[in-house]
Parts: sequence; structure tokens; C-alpha cells
Amino acid sequence: MSIISGDELLKGGMDRAVELMAIAANTALKFGHPKIRMSAIGPEEFQDLSGYCEGVAEISPLFNRDGRSFLDLAKQDTRALLLGASRKSVYNYDCGACGFATCEELNKAEEVESFINGPCCHFVVYDVHMAANAAAAMAHYMGLQCRVFVTIGVSAHACEFIEEVDFAVGVGVSYQARNPFFDRHKYWTDEEWDKKFAEEFPSFTRRFMGAVE
Amino acid sequence: MERKMREYEERRLESVKLASQLLLASATTSPRVGGIDEISIHVLDSRDAIEDLAICIEKMADDNPRWDFFRSDAVQVRDADVVMIMADRRSGHDPMDSNCNLCGNLLCDAWRDAERVPDAPSVAFQGPFCLMRSMNLAYALNGAVTLARQLGIDHAIKMSVGVAALRMDLLPYRCGIALGFMASVTEKNPFKDLPKKWAEYNNETLSNRLIGRLFPTFRSIYS
Repeated sequence: MSIISGDELLKGGMDRAVELMAIAANTALKFGHPKIRMSAIGPEEFQDLSGYCEGVAEISPLFNRDGRSFLDLAKQDTRALLLGASRKSVYNYDCGACGFATCEELNKAEEVESFINGPCCHFVVYDVHMAANAAAAMAHYMGLQCRVFVTIGVSAHACEFIEEVDFAVGVGVSYQARNPFFDRHKYWTDEEWDKKFAEEFPSFTRRFMGAVE
Repeated sequence: MERKMREYEERRLESVKLASQLLLASATTSPRVGGIDEISIHVLDSRDAIEDLAICIEKMADDNPRWDFFRSDAVQVRDADVVMIMADRRSGHDPMDSNCNLCGNLLCDAWRDAERVPDAPSVAFQGPFCLMRSMNLAYALNGAVTLARQLGIDHAIKMSVGVAALRMDLLPYRCGIALGFMASVTEKNPFKDLPKKWAEYNNETLSNRLIGRLFPTFRSIYS
């Protein structure tokens, strides 16, 4: 048998892992049978996602944080499984959760276009996210580092990496020894962090609760 | 019942109660959007509580012509050994403030002012709810499903269970939306292979009709 290098093993394993995650997502328990669309992206696409996130960083600190880390993820051969679906109801539950009394009213309602096109049927969103969670569970069993990102879904939808969907979610996976999706302290300096904390929770550093300064 | 069979029956019910505790743990530790706690999980493991729920679901089937499937749901609830209800106590009144547009309102402030679906018997949940929050329900459900698959426990998810639990006031105050998870430890999965008209022809109705009603008549005529 020929010798296979560690890098090759990891990359090959990653390809198979993403395929298995797609299978787990497809066979996940769901409420109905919505058409869930899937696609997988790799490091090059992460660079595009990072560019998109940078563009909207001004209006969303969440995209700001994720955009900075996507650039690093692109260098580390990170992959993501994207899942999305059309916003319309295929369930005929008439449950009212979306704010419309019947499914027909929701399906006829005017579409509001944005990062995500709304209004969405609750059960379509549940089914897509249950599929995403099943994919994440599969990644977890295989020992991959994993996190579910709405930001990946939104920016991949904008970059057209997943088509014919109104909303999407991304399951990021990585084979790095350290989990790159959590504890991302390096994207903030200590001063930046202290400033943000003081801004967001000014009462925390006060001497007395309710004291007038 | 034979002593050994009674013992087996008791152990079987114990096992499903133990499993429900583990399923609750898995559902609780599944991811949450933004790491914010909002899902609580309520377990019904007594026959009486499950029967009350099934009766409520059966009654609701008349409330909306689209809810005919609630009748078959009620039969499945009766067949379940444990019913777990995932309740979302935040998404009805406290949006994520991420302006995500999943609900069709570009801004969360617009969602706050949005008109709610009026209370009526044909309405299950008085939406709109914050979808970015309530997708945590999907994570909680799948947390339980994933472990149930691992443990080899038969399971199903039902919207009708959540509605019934809400109407029966089994859930925390200000909880507006809930979904149900059912688990069963039996030799035949009670949630699969459901014949047509399952609400009419199931184990209970067949036993009531054949053994309770027809056979005594047969017996009194032919003896």
C-alpha cells in the first residue's frame, strides 16, 4: 500500500464527512416534506463570504465578528454545508404561528426581500434547522469541529452559492486541532473589548446600583 | 397477567422513563441561537396525563377542517409511553432584535407593532412569533431525536401535541408556541406503518369493537 500523507488523509476525510453530513440532513426527522436544497462550500467560497460580511459589518456586529474569522477559516481548509428552502408553507397546518391565520394567506402574502426573504412558514424553518442540527450531530459523531451559522447561510445566499431558496443556514466544519468556531478572542484587542463592554453594560462597573455619578 | 410478563411490562415502562430523562438532557444541551435560554421541556409520563392530552387533541380536530390529521395524532399519543413538550417562552414577546426578516417584518420594532392573529378555536398559535428565536424549538426537538435514534427508541414529533399542551395550560406563563416529541419502547413502532383511517381502525377501536362489542353477542347467540 502506498503511503498517504496526513494532509491528504484529512482532506479526503473532510470530503467524505461533508457528504455524510448531507445524508444525515436529508434523512433527518421532519414535520413534512419541504424541498430542502443543499450545497457545500470550501475555502475559496469562504473568502467571498468574508468579503460580503465585511460589507455589512457596519450595520451588524454579528457579521463583523464572523467576517473576520471567515478569512482565517478560508486559510484552514474549512468547509460548510448549506441548507435552505423556499419560505412558503407546504404543510397546510393553518397554525397561525407566522402571523397569518391560514397557510394560503401566508403563501399569497407579499414577499419582503432582504438578507432573508420573509415572511417564512415556521415549519419550513423548523425542518431546515432540524436538518442542520442533524448534520451538525453527524459532524460531532465524526469528531469534527462544528458550528451552525446563520451568517454563513445569509451571506452564501447573497453570493448565490445556494440557489432557489428564501433563507439558508450553514453548518461550518473544520478538522483543525483547535475549534476555530468558538473562543475567537484574537479578533479583538483587549482595549477594544473593554471599550465595548463598558459601552454595552455601563451599570456593571458602577459602585452602587442606581448611584448617580 | 403472568408474573414474569408483568415484571417485563414494569421494566419496559421504567426504561422509557429513564430514556426520557436522557432525551431531556440532550434536548436541553442542543444549540441555542445566540446562546440565550428560552426552551423549557415538560415531560408527561403518566398514563392519565397522556390520555388527557390525547382527548384534547381529538377534540381540537373539529376546530379546523385542516386538522383532520389530529384524530390520528391522538391515537399515536395514546400509544406513546412518554410525551415531551418543547415550550418556547420567549419568541412571542421578546424578539431577537437582529432584524432578520424571517417573519416578514424588516425591523423587529415593526414586529412588535404587528397585528397578532386573533384568538379563535381554529388558530393554533397566535403569531407572528420571532422565528430567529423559535428555531431553537427545532434544535431542541432534533437534540431529542438524535439521541433517540442512538438509543434505538421509537419516536415522533407532532405539532398537535404542542397546541394541546398550550390549550391545557401545561406550559410556562407567556409561552406562545410549543411542539411535541413522543417516545415509545414497544416491539412495534406505534408511529410508523399507520394504515389509512388509523383514527377509526386502530388497536383500541378494534379491541373495543371485536372483543368488547361483537364477540359477546356472538357468544350469547352461539352458546
